[in-house]
Amino acid sequence: MAALGNRVAALGRIRLLRSSVFIQCRYSNTLPEATVEKHRKSKLAQDPEESETESLVAPRDYKYVYPEFLPDPKPQYRDRIREKLEHEDMFRRRTVLKIPEFYVGSILAVLVSDPYAPGKKNRFVGICINRSGHGLRSQFTLRNVVDGQGMEITYELYNPTIQGIEVLKLEKRLDPHLFYLRDALPEYSTIPFDFEPVPHPPGATIPVNPVKVKLRPRPWHERWERQDLQGLQDLELPERFYERAREVAKPWEKYDLMKQYRESINDDDAAKIMGYVYKKIQELEKTKER
Amino acid sequence: MAASMMSWRLSVSLRCGQSASFQQLDIFARVLAQPHLTQLHITRGARRTCKAAPWLSKRTVDHKLNEEVLTTESKEFLKNVAIERFKERMANSPLKDAPAERHQWTPKSLRTGVLAIKLGVIPQWTKDGHRFTCTLLQVLDNHVVRYIPPEEFSKYPSFKKKWRKNIFGSLVVGALSTDPFKFSKGYNNLCAKVGLPPKRKLTRFLVTPDAAVEPGTPLKATHFKVGDYVDCQAKTIGHGFQGVVKRWGFKGGPASHGTTKWHRRTGNIGGGRNKAAVWKGRKMPGHMGMEWRTLKALKIWRINTKYNVLYVMGQNVPGPVHCYVRVMDSRTLFRRKERIQRPPHMPTFYPEDVDEPLPEEIFDEEMFKFTEPSITFTDKKDK
Repeated sequence: MAALGNRVAALGRIRLLRSSVFIQCRYSNTLPEATVEKHRKSKLAQDPEESETESLVAPRDYKYVYPEFLPDPKPQYRDRIREKLEHEDMFRRRTVLKIPEFYVGSILAVLVSDPYAPGKKNRFVGICINRSGHGLRSQFTLRNVVDGQGMEITYELYNPTIQGIEVLKLEKRLDPHLFYLRDALPEYSTIPFDFEPVPHPPGATIPVNPVKVKLRPRPWHERWERQDLQGLQDLELPERFYERAREVAKPWEKYDLMKQYRESINDDDAAKIMGYVYKKIQELEKTKER
Repeated sequence: MAASMMSWRLSVSLRCGQSASFQQLDIFARVLAQPHLTQLHITRGARRTCKAAPWLSKRTVDHKLNEEVLTTESKEFLKNVAIERFKERMANSPLKDAPAERHQWTPKSLRTGVLAIKLGVIPQWTKDGHRFTCTLLQVLDNHVVRYIPPEEFSKYPSFKKKWRKNIFGSLVVGALSTDPFKFSKGYNNLCAKVGLPPKRKLTRFLVTPDAAVEPGTPLKATHFKVGDYVDCQAKTIGHGFQGVVKRWGFKGGPASHGTTKWHRRTGNIGGGRNKAAVWKGRKMPGHMGMEWRTLKALKIWRINTKYNVLYVMGQNVPGPVHCYVRVMDSRTLFRRKERIQRPPHMPTFYPEDVDEPLPEEIFDEEMFKFTEPSITFTDKKDK
């Protein structure tokens, strides 16, 4: 038995070895991130990087107020210096342009310089249906219905052609995105271009709009009944659609801690980044007061 | 020559069915014993080999025995001693003597490159609102380790036949200073000769003698100027053995309609009629990626002198994030006249050349700086 155990152990070792070799083969001539970090601060280096001063502790909601500062959670794309340089560019842009706090569901007006528009400017008003991207790539989508025609424009948040972003109504919705407005009745996404701004006192909690949207009858862009969406009225579908949705559903995913860890920036990293953001934004506000 | 003649004779005699005489074999053995008479053709496996060349000294040392003996305290002590000793050596580097003679740049001179690390890709904008993507390359702790003049270099076993003799010298550049404990004595001494700690990665650039840099000189991102065009050379991401659909983008077969075992296949590989053969260069399944590839003539848009980062045009510099990239002056004939008007630093950038220290960020003229106000367009008629 003992001999068999040894053999099994040996096999295990071989398998381990193989797996390490495989990784090397996929990424040859490449260093792991930890090694690069070690070399940046190494005493043996010509001019090692200075260790950073301690950052502040940001308020808890900063993660949701400035989501674009959180990097892409995919570990193979992350690099501390790249993120830092990107953040510096973002703060430089924020010294010139005021980028307000807004959420999915808020009503915005964006003024963009456009070489083909009369007056070389274009103003668009709409409801924010999505926010995506990380760092300088971050973007948001506005939706409106103009003359009965649905229109969506995706803006890059740090594009230098943007002249101003104005929040006309600051509020949240029940869902992380509002793509279902494409299949809803037009009244839900029709916003007049002369929409009067609703004042929001600073420091007040952001109201959540509990409106439930009524969709047009099928066909739709997506199978909305299969997504766990809160802001929809009863879809009035035959029972077989819900049955199929139940079959396809993956209710166990909300208990999959590893999946959540992989697909999001963990709390420690986020706290570090947000502390830096908090410090920078306080500096920004001080310079503006002067 | 003699050896090849002998072996030829031997093979002839064997082929003719005659048994090789004892005398013949004896001579053959004696010839083989003399290495200067034989021409060894060293082959190192396949195209994508991970093995180091046999003529290189062994890099790493196995310290398992020492690990058991040494305590953590003594290990740290030894490490600190090593670092101090290497710092002393840095003071004795060849740079201490009078600086080497410097030459003017000519279109025929070939400068050294740098060994950078790829950090990732970010978007940037030009002043007229055009968006483009940049790859960030960090030049981390680069030093010149050795220079071999052309006459000597053309006798090296690693000298390739296709290079013209007595024109290019070899300049070895090392990146990332490391712990000397992990490496062998021979490897450590490569760098110790010029007063440097051992380097994790060494690479070689061809240079003309007028562009030779003195060993021990640090290379920074400012080796290049903003607006220069560079070639980036690196190993691509490996995908292993792949089929024809992923490797060459073949269409494969239909998914359904009675298809069996014909979803991702290549189809016919031979010609018809008189050809009766599979022609060379036929696209077939095989190993994909992990090959040296060069992306040519990429513009440098921006340089960060604090972190030594180059912002290079394009999102397709080969290799994954944190891979080594060889960055060198573009050898294409692209924008030759501009290059002559604005010659590069020769042989590299020395901080003594400039009166004031360089700014932290250097931008291209056409590039949008984020501290500038938003871009506005005006009518051409108004101007």
